[in-house]
Amino acid sequence: MDSRLKPFIDKALSRRTFLAGAGSVAAVGLMAGCSNDGTTTGGGGGGGGGTGAYTDLDILNFALNLEYLEAQFYLYAATGKGLTAANTMAPTGYTGTYTMGTVTPGNSAMVAGTTTAQQQIINEIAAEEQNHVQFLRSALGAAAVPMPSIDLSFFGPLALALTPAVASFNPYASFDAFLIGAFIFEDVGVTAYAGAAPLISAAGVTSGFLNYAAGILAVEAYHAAYIRTALTARAISMGATSPTSSVYPYVGIANQVEALRASLTVGNSGAPGSGNTGNTGAAGSSGSVEVALNVPQSPTQASAIVAADSVHAIGFARNVNQVHHIVYGSPTVGVAKGGFFPNGTNSIFSTTTA
Amino acid sequence: MANLETQVLDEIIVKGRRKLLTLGSAALAGLVLGGTKEAKAATAYTDADILNFALNLEYLEANYYYIAAFGCTIDTPNAAAIAAGAPTGGIPISSSTFVGTPGGPVSMTGANMVNFTGQTAIGAYATETAIEEGKHVLFLQGALSSAAVAQPLINLTTAWQMLGGALTPAAPTFSPYSSYAAFLLGAYVFEDVGVTAYHGAASLLTVSGNLSAAAGILGVEAYHAGLVRTTISTSTDPNITGTVSTAVSISNLRAALSKAGLLGSTTVPINDTNPDDLGPSPVAVTLAGMTGYTSSKIVNCDATNAIAFARNTTQVLNIVTGGGAVNGTTAVSPAKGIFYTNGMNAGPNGFK
Repeated sequence: MDSRLKPFIDKALSRRTFLAGAGSVAAVGLMAGCSNDGTTTGGGGGGGGGTGAYTDLDILNFALNLEYLEAQFYLYAATGKGLTAANTMAPTGYTGTYTMGTVTPGNSAMVAGTTTAQQQIINEIAAEEQNHVQFLRSALGAAAVPMPSIDLSFFGPLALALTPAVASFNPYASFDAFLIGAFIFEDVGVTAYAGAAPLISAAGVTSGFLNYAAGILAVEAYHAAYIRTALTARAISMGATSPTSSVYPYVGIANQVEALRASLTVGNSGAPGSGNTGNTGAAGSSGSVEVALNVPQSPTQASAIVAADSVHAIGFARNVNQVHHIVYGSPTVGVAKGGFFPNGTNSIFSTTTA
Repeated sequence: MANLETQVLDEIIVKGRRKLLTLGSAALAGLVLGGTKEAKAATAYTDADILNFALNLEYLEANYYYIAAFGCTIDTPNAAAIAAGAPTGGIPISSSTFVGTPGGPVSMTGANMVNFTGQTAIGAYATETAIEEGKHVLFLQGALSSAAVAQPLINLTTAWQMLGGALTPAAPTFSPYSSYAAFLLGAYVFEDVGVTAYHGAASLLTVSGNLSAAAGILGVEAYHAGLVRTTISTSTDPNITGTVSTAVSISNLRAALSKAGLLGSTTVPINDTNPDDLGPSPVAVTLAGMTGYTSSKIVNCDATNAIAFARNTTQVLNIVTGGGAVNGTTAVSPAKGIFYTNGMNAGPNGFK
């Protein structure tokens, strides 16, 4: 097309290269020195865009891992119970090596003290994330990985890692705490699907996989918008004059979550635009994939509901490594598990390679 | 591949939007559409045609929000717009290289800045959205360069009354500029459509970088849609709760126009349903294997798979022209009406 698109093409190539490892794109030297672990090439063979390192099914299974996590969090928040066994076990005919894990519930329970309207919101997100699990399992058929072990008690340690630390955080304790718990996931889901969409092969596009990914991306963005709008609107309605206002401190906590996510978004930034060769770790900065929430004080001051780059208003993307760094709670390259996934994801991308 | 999976994939291949959009192709005409009469679909469209289709929609959205938030159009920003971040020289709507018939600045006769006094949150949302939609116009213009289309003739005044008159019950005096609550309904008209349009376009793009950009904009449109639907659905302000039923009727109208845009085909894509548009009314859901739960409907997606809807260009055109893209089971091109008085601008093989 023209030079304006060049950064996006480069970005897409670099993402593909992150994933491809030993693939042909990497062979041109963009990723010299990066090698994958043995599981990477054992994921089912061929069809993943020509590199042979991963397949479209691997990409959908990566997404399925994230959906398992989200569905469990929201279902517990809505009902006090998680996914049914039928939605977590290995499907009939599954020949892979991953096994079904368990859920460490932590404080998981129906969110306390919600209004009817708030409960309906929680129910909606739970239903939709549950449907994503069911849909991806159906689309993947016998190739669907079972649910990995999920640790919902990780919210507490994660909150302690914020700056400043938030002690005794329990996302099920109140509706506002729930919003923070949800905030940890939703913007990340959007970026994960945005990063995954361009990796789907031409054959996968014909098969509808891209259509799925784009459609789920949109749903995750609706969810993210809900969470960000609710935080912003509640702060305004309670008279908060800044994100850290004592009358409603949750916007400030959400921004601390953003800062942590940014610091875990290791490597080449998925921020659209040129020159984003590293994540600065500061939400809203040109190389960051995060946009901090604000609390507008007048109708003429723009809110910050949308997480998008400041120049083009295009949503961000993260590669599979960056997403894993966040859900593992570790910026260290080579880590294979931790955080919300105590035994790692059931994915060929489970070990971070960059 | 497993049998079940093969079946699923076969179904997808047959029903995929990609096929609907390329229905000029002889091989697929029989497969997908049976005896349906086909329009002159663009058989040799390019990524530029798809991005230009999006640009036409962004001109519309950006002008709406600029008028509502600032009281000006995108090409001539006033002080309020510039203070909020609009480019001081305005956003170009035509140039010597732009393609198509320039429609000129959007008329503001009958349009005005919305009074957001005392409505900090909604005003702030309008301000944010205006700036973001303007950036989308600039981005697409830059990406398309000399292939970009000029802003077509856009009606953002009497179009609203035409649209209102088509609702059930009819609202022939509807103006989104009359109040902050009405503004939300105007935004509601556009945002979900933007999501479905970018979603439908994603699978058609061939250049990876274009897909990345389209996926990114898709996400932003969905954030906007989520913002609007959240505000309409969850407010306790009686002026806003009173708009919920109108939002539902807007969704119903869009669904009907979208269905007509399928040109008589009864084949519905796998992640789609009829209707392909759901208003913000609570629905019953089953959670963790238990029935009896009630869910809000912030997200405009199908009830089974929770995947956002996608629409092809004919469906989108039929919505934004109020039925101008379809005559019976035949596509009409250029589609004209409601917001696009003379239709969209497009290249030789583009979508209009």
